[in-house]
Amino acid sequence: MERFNYSKDRETINAARARALESLLIEKGVITSDTVDKIMTIFETEMGPFNGAKLVARAWVDPEFKKLLGEDTMAAVEKMNFVTKGAGAEGEHMRAAINTPQVHNLIICTLCSCYPWPVLGLPPYWYKDPSFRARAAREPRKVLGEFGLNVHPDKEIKTWDSSAQIRWFVVPERPDGTDGFSEEQLAALVTPEAMMGVAIVKPPGQ
Amino acid sequence: MKLQHTLGGLEGLDPIPLETRVFVQDWEQRIFGIHTAMMALSPQLDLEATPSTFSTIWTWADLRKGAEGMNPFDYFKFRYYEKWLGGISGYFVDKGYITQEELETRTNAFLKSSSTPLPQGGDPKIDARVRKYLLIGDDPKRERTSEPRFKEGDVVQVRDPDTVDHTRLPGHLRTKVGVIDSVYEASYTYLCDTGPDGVGAAMPVYCVRFDPDVLWPANTEDNFTFYADLFEAYLDRHSAS
Repeated sequence: MERFNYSKDRETINAARARALESLLIEKGVITSDTVDKIMTIFETEMGPFNGAKLVARAWVDPEFKKLLGEDTMAAVEKMNFVTKGAGAEGEHMRAAINTPQVHNLIICTLCSCYPWPVLGLPPYWYKDPSFRARAAREPRKVLGEFGLNVHPDKEIKTWDSSAQIRWFVVPERPDGTDGFSEEQLAALVTPEAMMGVAIVKPPGQ
Repeated sequence: MKLQHTLGGLEGLDPIPLETRVFVQDWEQRIFGIHTAMMALSPQLDLEATPSTFSTIWTWADLRKGAEGMNPFDYFKFRYYEKWLGGISGYFVDKGYITQEELETRTNAFLKSSSTPLPQGGDPKIDARVRKYLLIGDDPKRERTSEPRFKEGDVVQVRDPDTVDHTRLPGHLRTKVGVIDSVYEASYTYLCDTGPDGVGAAMPVYCVRFDPDVLWPANTEDNFTFYADLFEAYLDRHSAS
């Protein structure tokens, strides 16, 4: 529902203003004409959910690694060959919340939109939306239902609010029907939504 | 009390908009990139100097201050990156990098001819520093200089400090009682000093466990536990009365 009146030129004006700002900042030597494009390329190729998916897949095939990921997340991340190693902007200290048959984890940021960039990249719009941030804190089951995920009443939901300098992500459970899958095949099944806790990883083909 | 500090638990809202894209308009990538470059070029970071003319501090705290200071209706009205566009443009004007008039004139020029190319050039050292920042970040961890006041299992009460322009204390936790779930190993700085709110200098940080029924009595869900990472300045020992 549209609750506010917006100018019909809203997006045209936003686009022109953003372009004007970038143009002036290049002209005045604040940034270069390549700065923004180069940043976006890093998020497309080096810092993104493709890294998180590799972590999850490794945890699924290697119980020792999964244990380390839960107990000392940064030590586990450092073992991966990410360009950010055990660091990266918005990932200087990350913690993994590991789903089990008894516990389903959900990450939120009620104050803003804190998100572990090196392993998940940039957050989707719903995560930044005030409605999600407000409602997931008090009624996570109902919210997850809106995402199409019905968590059994016997399963505990743990919600992690990222209000300090620690960044969280969820390690979903390995789906059935993936025996013998390689890490690469497993990683291909993992979605950003599953690593935030609003989805589970579905068996292949579903 | 600021609504933006107290979103957790707010009632009467619509179903969640299930928009999974990160950017819904092309221009949003541009403002995201500008913000990231500003953080990377901000002079308090221990990175090699560049020929960039950016010489003032810009961190997440500055961006958040802007969003937290908005009229709460505007906060809900404007999309995420619209708030960024407003806050960041305002910062460059306030700090004298550009004038409002220049911004309006240039905006009008692009409105007339959106295909006008951007200026070209700039020193590659600027982009090298931005890349370096993204790959190593800005580590808030510091050596401990004092022992944490609390240990795992301690019962704590969240303080109720004066409301200031920026905080890392979620409003729905103020005055509530919780249990220390874990004590983070290092101490942590925050990006700015929040004054009477209490964070900034390096201090211990805790993951605190709350019973949602304590946060929202008889108005939450079953079999659900709420956790928040909280700076030590926000916590007192709970004296059972």
